[in-house]
Amino acid sequence: MLPGLVFTESLPPLSDPAAAPGACAIAVATHSAETELPTAVAVELHGITKRFPGVVANHDIDITVQRGHVHAIVGENGAGKSTLMKTLYGMHKPDEGTITVNGKPVSFSSPADAIAVGIGMVHQHFMLADNLTVLENIVLGAEPTRGGVLDGRAARRKIREISDSYGLGIDPDVLVEELGVGDRQRVEICKVLFRGARILILDEPTAVLVPQEVDELFGNLRELKSEGLTVLFISHKLDEVLSVADEITVIRRGTTVQTVDPKSVTARQLAQLMVGSELPIPELRESTVTETAELVVENLTVRSTGGRAVVDDVSLVIHQGEIVGLAGVEGNGQAELVEAIMGMLPIESGRITLGGTDIGGWHTRERRENGVGYIPEDRQRHGLLLEAPLWENRILGHQTERPNVRGFWIDRGAAKKDTRRIVDEFDVRTPGITVPAASLSGGNQQKLIVGREMSGTPKVLIASHPTRGVDVGAQAAIWEHLRNARAAGLAVLLISADLDELIGMSDTLKVILRGRLVSEVDPRNVTSEELGAAMTGAGPVSSGEAS
Amino acid sequence: MRERLSRLLLNVFAAVIAAAFAAGITSIILAVRGDSPTFVISQMWTYGTTPSSELTILNSATVYYLSAIAVAIGFRMNLFNIGVDGQYRLAAMLAAAFGGAVSLPNGVRQVAIILVAMLVGASWAGLVALLKVTRGVSEVISTIMLNFIATGLIAYLMRPSILGRRSAVANDVTTTPIPKSGQVGGLDLIPKAGGKVYGLIVLAVIVGVLFHVVVNRTRFGFDLRATGQSASAAAASGVNVKKMIVATLLLSGACAGLVGMPALLGDSHAYSSITFQTGLGFTGIAIALLGRNNPVGIAFAAILWAFLDQSAQILDLNGIPKEIVQITQGVVVLSVVVAYELVRRWALAHQQRVVGGALAPPSDPAAATPAQVTA
Amino acid sequence: MMNLRSKRTRIAVAGLAVLAMTLSACSSSKNNSSGGGGGGTGSTPAKKTVKVGLAYDVGGRGDKSFNDLAAAGLEKAKADLNIQTKELSAVQGESDQQKADRLTLLATAGYNPIVAIGFAYAGSLAKVAPKFPNIHFGIIDDNSSKLPNVEGLVFAENESSFLVGVAAAQATKKKNVGFIGGVQTPLIQKFQAGYAAGVKAVDPSIKVQVAYISQAPDFSGFNDPAKAKVIAEGMYDGGADVVYHAAGGSGSGLFQAAAAKKALAIGVDSDQYQTATADQKPYILTSALKGVDTAVDNFIKDDAAGKFKAGSVRFDLKAGGVGYATSNPIIDPYKAKIEDFKAKIIAGTITVPTTP
Repeated sequence: MLPGLVFTESLPPLSDPAAAPGACAIAVATHSAETELPTAVAVELHGITKRFPGVVANHDIDITVQRGHVHAIVGENGAGKSTLMKTLYGMHKPDEGTITVNGKPVSFSSPADAIAVGIGMVHQHFMLADNLTVLENIVLGAEPTRGGVLDGRAARRKIREISDSYGLGIDPDVLVEELGVGDRQRVEICKVLFRGARILILDEPTAVLVPQEVDELFGNLRELKSEGLTVLFISHKLDEVLSVADEITVIRRGTTVQTVDPKSVTARQLAQLMVGSELPIPELRESTVTETAELVVENLTVRSTGGRAVVDDVSLVIHQGEIVGLAGVEGNGQAELVEAIMGMLPIESGRITLGGTDIGGWHTRERRENGVGYIPEDRQRHGLLLEAPLWENRILGHQTERPNVRGFWIDRGAAKKDTRRIVDEFDVRTPGITVPAASLSGGNQQKLIVGREMSGTPKVLIASHPTRGVDVGAQAAIWEHLRNARAAGLAVLLISADLDELIGMSDTLKVILRGRLVSEVDPRNVTSEELGAAMTGAGPVSSGEAS
Repeated sequence: MRERLSRLLLNVFAAVIAAAFAAGITSIILAVRGDSPTFVISQMWTYGTTPSSELTILNSATVYYLSAIAVAIGFRMNLFNIGVDGQYRLAAMLAAAFGGAVSLPNGVRQVAIILVAMLVGASWAGLVALLKVTRGVSEVISTIMLNFIATGLIAYLMRPSILGRRSAVANDVTTTPIPKSGQVGGLDLIPKAGGKVYGLIVLAVIVGVLFHVVVNRTRFGFDLRATGQSASAAAASGVNVKKMIVATLLLSGACAGLVGMPALLGDSHAYSSITFQTGLGFTGIAIALLGRNNPVGIAFAAILWAFLDQSAQILDLNGIPKEIVQITQGVVVLSVVVAYELVRRWALAHQQRVVGGALAPPSDPAAATPAQVTA
Repeated sequence: MMNLRSKRTRIAVAGLAVLAMTLSACSSSKNNSSGGGGGGTGSTPAKKTVKVGLAYDVGGRGDKSFNDLAAAGLEKAKADLNIQTKELSAVQGESDQQKADRLTLLATAGYNPIVAIGFAYAGSLAKVAPKFPNIHFGIIDDNSSKLPNVEGLVFAENESSFLVGVAAAQATKKKNVGFIGGVQTPLIQKFQAGYAAGVKAVDPSIKVQVAYISQAPDFSGFNDPAKAKVIAEGMYDGGADVVYHAAGGSGSGLFQAAAAKKALAIGVDSDQYQTATADQKPYILTSALKGVDTAVDNFIKDDAAGKFKAGSVRFDLKAGGVGYATSNPIIDPYKAKIEDFKAKIIAGTITVPTTP
């Protein structure tokens, strides 16, 4: 479980400029915790581990937050930031580890406990009642009373005090429905302060704000800081984090990777830390790319229900024996592109052909029957029947194909036999094939899915994060399977957040940003920093060409 | 095999616990009223096991079973066909009118009547599917509405000027009775019962077997269960969820169409707007829940339900309100739903522990340290 | 995991919903069984002990309507005979088989005679009666049986309705009257037919508004006062000033509307003037009486006296089985004409139709 940390420190960039300040930041944190007054540290999380059935959401989290700092926590979506914050706010209990607030160890059973020691949380989505005034919203649930009667005057006075001392500019008597987004957020902050919070958790606070509002928010945060309050700021927008934070902790795959000083890292380095890299080294040997185009996507556009083009005029060709990598920060249209190729999302315009046949009008099942394998991004939602036994999950997605069925009938014997084969070949750790899929760990679930989708000699494999959450050995095995299938002529679309995997395993590598393929890079020459920069739009890639 | 057995035992255990709980609640109410629970139970048992009661129980259970299977078909796919009630009533009425009007040879006529009933039931449920698939209308809402519409439609169609006619019993309006050549005779299964078991009990058994085979052994059944367990995973696996909704509701409706058949072909021979049994669709929901959507479980649940209905009759004779049994039935359904859910969660967590235990890596030091510190 | 959990929740919610439906569908049936010989305490030995079984329709004793009227008949019989009774009632949505079992239960428990209240028992009685040839059965509102041990007790509701029609025709000032039926069944249409004929017999130019609350198989019309009130208000607003109902428990809605509009209403089955609230009383012109109580009382007494007659007995004006109520004095000015028509019906010079 610990390798994440180890690997990070062996990351190449950290041996040059960024490494020293990064290491230094950790040293400072440790140093202050040991020598200065314990009250200099507002929050200390040590060894926090939180498991959910089938997944470990957080493990061995160590964070030290200095009083009067804005401490940013960054990580990719799904890295475990929210789980961690919920732990700190008492919304669930950690399975292991200690939380120390102002030098005292604490244990929270509910957010009320967290509030009692001065921790407050401002959620990403505001929790305000539109038809009440600011004052009513703020006091809701913490009504100051005098002789059992709501003491409006005292509340109003207190809100004014808070507003003035932190420059929030709140009028307690307007209706919330009349306020803009930025104002509402300040009301939320005021609400938390009203309850006596000295440590504020802000979950993706800038997600809903326009740039000017972001600036205003940062002004407020500096104000809070100068008054001695501590702010935990969760984000994945690196530029913002660098401009406002005093310290930045990076979380990847559920654990803390490193704590760095924003003054001595760049967005590019931070992106690398977030995205990470792993052993063993993903690599392709000799090229097996043929001239035969297997899957061709031409000018594909997919619109969200809101009408936004989430996939915007995308064209790509995958040849037999070729792995095409698709790099991009999550949420830039990869998921929609995949679902459109699989026939799960309607396409607005464009063509998808498989071996020369237009499959745009085909249903998902026809596509699968004609040799399109699919490793979904969200395995629990799209890849498994969690409460069904493993052998039934072997059938899922291939319920019209041998050996699972014979004509109209499910062939239970053959399906079970083939499940055992997958379990053996792909090293799925399970006591048997009749246990429900939910009882396996995420990595083993993934291995089962990969094994299933690579069964029956598919022509095309759409692989979204094929090695996410699996252990190092299994990762190597999955790559080996991919290489072998590629040698046998499989065309693969590979989507991954692991840049080294993308670079190492791709014959062709494209970058997607806001639904568009913005550049194509040569995986033999690109470094992960360059790719990371291209993904975040932080810098152009020299070898790229807009498509 | 062992897992399946232990899961089965767990579910049986849950059902027994729930039944015991319901019996306990009922006993408390009886005791508070000042009646002896043991007396009541022995009375009910004695009366419920007389041959004539057994006959009624078997006949009631037959129609309950068909109704519950109709509901369970939907439940297996996470669809809530609350409209079995309207579907079977409309189906029975139109099939009865059809059976009274056509003249077909014996044997063919019965089959034709049953097919008409299935067709009508399926069509009525098909409207629900149509609304859901094309307009996204929740089947819960549309089935409830269609129940009311079915009532109105039957009232309209039963006018003497259309399909109804004054019956021999002057105060009733019925369809034209189905002649002997269209009826299904009873079976003399219970000696000294003074009556016969519906011949169409055989149909209920066939439906149960078909349900089991189709759901568990066929591709269609797999798609159905997959959609019920996770619609998103099913869609990703290539299941056409809309098609499945239509197919499932049609099947559920066709099965609902059968609900009225045992009594129509075996007993009343005509649809009467006054005496034809109503509300079976709702009973079916309760029984499907009680039987965990499993064809064997539903059979037991249907018999239990029918037994409670029947044996309650004796209570009036002893001055105990028979409505007490409705409390028992209600509590059984509620507690069984809770018990099944508890068992399900426990079993899943247990499985995870077992699997985790079987595969545990050498324990890491962090896990060995008691980490939790209380403030 | 989430979608699984929410699915379970849905099932649980569905379970609750079912429960609510099941319970509400059965909520109204009540049981009432009086101990043996209640009416016979302190009776003379001359009184014969009779075990009488009553099988009520849905609602049972206490429904303030049809079943209660039968219960009243039973009470009357108790006054004169040493009677041991057992009263069972039907539940909503039961099968014919369950009705048959109820009758069998009474028969095997030794009750004789047994009275089935309501024609819903017709089918089940036809099955049960032949198995107990020594037990006498009576059935209200049905005369279809040809069995030697069944006596059908039917009523000429059209005749009583005719008389209240005559009353309504005289009382109306706007030449506009109304009829509210509970559920559109042949039985209730008989009321409508008689009423309309009575009105027209007095003055053919009077308009008769007709409405039914529900259609069979929807029987809510017998127990939906709110809807009855809306319909009645509509009729009064539409020009009617007398409205007659044959809608069982829904009738109270009519009386509320009548009191609010200060217009007249006519009750049904029993003398509803007696049971109405004080503010409604002045507006209840009369009621069409249906002697279910008399019929039950007579049936029990005749049987005790060995005068059981298979076939059917028709309770009409001539037999005094139906009639009209005169407890509200405002009916007095119209009585002469009503009696006039009554005599003609009894004499057979007027035949009252049974279908509209």
